[in-house]
Amino acid sequence: MNPELILIQIALAAYWGATILSFIYLAYKDERLNRWMLNLLGLGIVFHLASFGFRIHSFWQISENRYFLPINTFFGALSYLALAVCVAFFVIESRHHLGILGAFVLPWASLSLGIAVLIASPEISGLVPALQSYWINIHPVVLMTSYAAFGNAFGVGLALLVQEYQIKSRKPTPLCYRLPSIEELDSLNYRIIAAAFPILTVGIIMGGVWAENAWGRFWGWDPKETWALITALVYAGYLHMRYMMGLRGKKAVYVSMFGFACVVFTFVGVNFLSGLHGYLSKG
Amino acid sequence: MKLFRSIRFNIILGALIAFFSALGTFFPQSPVSPNKVELYRSLHPLGFKILNFFGAFNLYQTWWFMGLLGLMAFDIVVCKLWNKPPDIGATALPPENTDEEEAEKRLSQKERALRLKPFQFSMDSSLSFDQAFKKASSFFEDHGYAVHDEFYSPSGAAFLATKHRLQRWGSYIAHIALVIILIGALIKALYGFVEMDPVMEGNAVAMKNRPWTLSVDKFTVHFYKGTFQPSLFSSALRVKAGDKLIGQKTILVNHPLDIHGVRFYQASWGAAGMFRTVTLDLGGTFLTLHQRVPKKVPGTPFSVTADILMPDFTVSNGHADTASLDLKNPAVRFLFSVAGKPTPPLWLFSLYPHVCLKESPDGTLEHAETPPFSLASVDPILFSGIQVAYDPGYPWVILGALLWVLGLILLFYLHRRRFWVLIEPRGEGETQFSIGAWSSRGGREFEREFNSLMGQMKSHLNIMEVPR
Repeated sequence: MNPELILIQIALAAYWGATILSFIYLAYKDERLNRWMLNLLGLGIVFHLASFGFRIHSFWQISENRYFLPINTFFGALSYLALAVCVAFFVIESRHHLGILGAFVLPWASLSLGIAVLIASPEISGLVPALQSYWINIHPVVLMTSYAAFGNAFGVGLALLVQEYQIKSRKPTPLCYRLPSIEELDSLNYRIIAAAFPILTVGIIMGGVWAENAWGRFWGWDPKETWALITALVYAGYLHMRYMMGLRGKKAVYVSMFGFACVVFTFVGVNFLSGLHGYLSKG
Repeated sequence: MKLFRSIRFNIILGALIAFFSALGTFFPQSPVSPNKVELYRSLHPLGFKILNFFGAFNLYQTWWFMGLLGLMAFDIVVCKLWNKPPDIGATALPPENTDEEEAEKRLSQKERALRLKPFQFSMDSSLSFDQAFKKASSFFEDHGYAVHDEFYSPSGAAFLATKHRLQRWGSYIAHIALVIILIGALIKALYGFVEMDPVMEGNAVAMKNRPWTLSVDKFTVHFYKGTFQPSLFSSALRVKAGDKLIGQKTILVNHPLDIHGVRFYQASWGAAGMFRTVTLDLGGTFLTLHQRVPKKVPGTPFSVTADILMPDFTVSNGHADTASLDLKNPAVRFLFSVAGKPTPPLWLFSLYPHVCLKESPDGTLEHAETPPFSLASVDPILFSGIQVAYDPGYPWVILGALLWVLGLILLFYLHRRRFWVLIEPRGEGETQFSIGAWSSRGGREFEREFNSLMGQMKSHLNIMEVPR
């Protein structure tokens, strides 16, 4: 069997292990669980990186693909996205030490990689001429990095809603004392979005520069471009509502979650609408 | 004007633009996929009429959508001019005054102002008033703060210490950038052009927007082994103004030719039914035919003509047709005749050597027995789709994009912090410090930083905190 697939399955197992541990950690406050969760996640990231390395190796066997990243297919893109979410979580976790958030973030990464492994085809193909550009190493990578951060913000928002529900209900469970305060979650949600929003827009602009070079226009209202713009507009709305109009807590989280729904649609749903940006398109 | 000034209105406008943009992705757009629009028209004639009235099939170019974008640009300017963000970090302490008595009054105002800051700290020290002022301002300077707005009077002194002041301008720069990008788009809409020029290999065509001619001397396409996935396609392109050659380059996707800002892109390619030669395999011997040139089949009474090529053969309504201009399923029609009498035309396929279709006089097709010959190869004449675009707004878009990035980096990645420091003598060589602080990020993170900085300041000044 292909070593790439063996390694990615080990990574997938490690991610799911870390996800399950993070759920158990929700119920039992045992710091060892959190440590194992992080170790398992780190292990998953290492195996995932190794698998990605093998993928790059076989991708480059086709000379036209050489020195471009294998993220042109749905499999490659989902796999990279899961990797980015995990790394982003790893970074946020090591800075803010909110181990409890794993349960709200890791399922999405595990799901993303799970879909890649179970549904998408791992086959490698030659890049169509439009994609044979150094921009393929930059434009999608930058965008998916921002998606990964938005995924983390979504998890934080989910935690905020759970916490809010806990506080409002008359019988708060021990979970209530374990989750960070609403203010802290709200501020973290904002901080992540404020950091990821510039990355999203830079990614979109880079796409425009590439499109100008490949297709002869900066902006063409292709569904993928349009939905990326909509995503940016929603998050810009969130930032304005929070900063200028003092929106906080649950309502702010709803707006940011709508933004994440747009991210998911831009990433997955648009493949059914777009000819140019579809993962199966001719480019 | 009041309406345009409100941020709420701007957000609603943004939401509207997002909504209509989204709507446009669910309808085929005529600039991108005219065929799909036609299909829609034939399937739902009434629905098409109604939707087309509102411009649903060319939504992004309708006057009302452009109007919304323009209104947004206008609104951003108005909003930015009128609304100061609720930026507590930009406020100073109340103004200074040299008059002694007045200064006393002002100082108490300063104290009141300080109490409004989100983070506060106060302490007494045994330093003299002069020393305290110097040591405190040097402490902030040592920690990378700019000390400014200093005010000194015998009854009290104050200063501001700020880090990353540029953050404040981020929002302004980003909003100006958006307007510049929209201006760039407007310039393109007014003065730019895009045209699509399919050029047959070896031919020349006249451009529509410039008095130039394009000729493709050679068109090349390579495929990945065993697929119809092109790995490369390129055109040896020459551009002439009259008789004068003004540009020449082999263009590839991602590598256009640029002549005074007019850019020539390798956009597409295809086969339009023309070919140089086809070769028939007559069971070991080969017969090469030019398009529509009859030739005698050696050793038989037949003569044969190859007349048309379908690059992507399909059967529609019982007739031969092509599904696209891609060479996905090349088929050639052969006309045979015996002693000047024609027999029914036969279709042969280069991918399926055993398949043969017979065409009846009304054009309908039926399967025929596998003939003793097959289509060995086709050498089609391809056309190269050259897209020519002129976008004088592009430099503006790039300028706007760079400013946008700069603005957002300042706004979101710089962490502006400001300390308001008030120092008052308390008699007998004692001095009191009152400190207020604000940060553009606020929250727990700054609280930790604030507490640690105040702790360091305490040990730096070697003073004792006095609880209030």
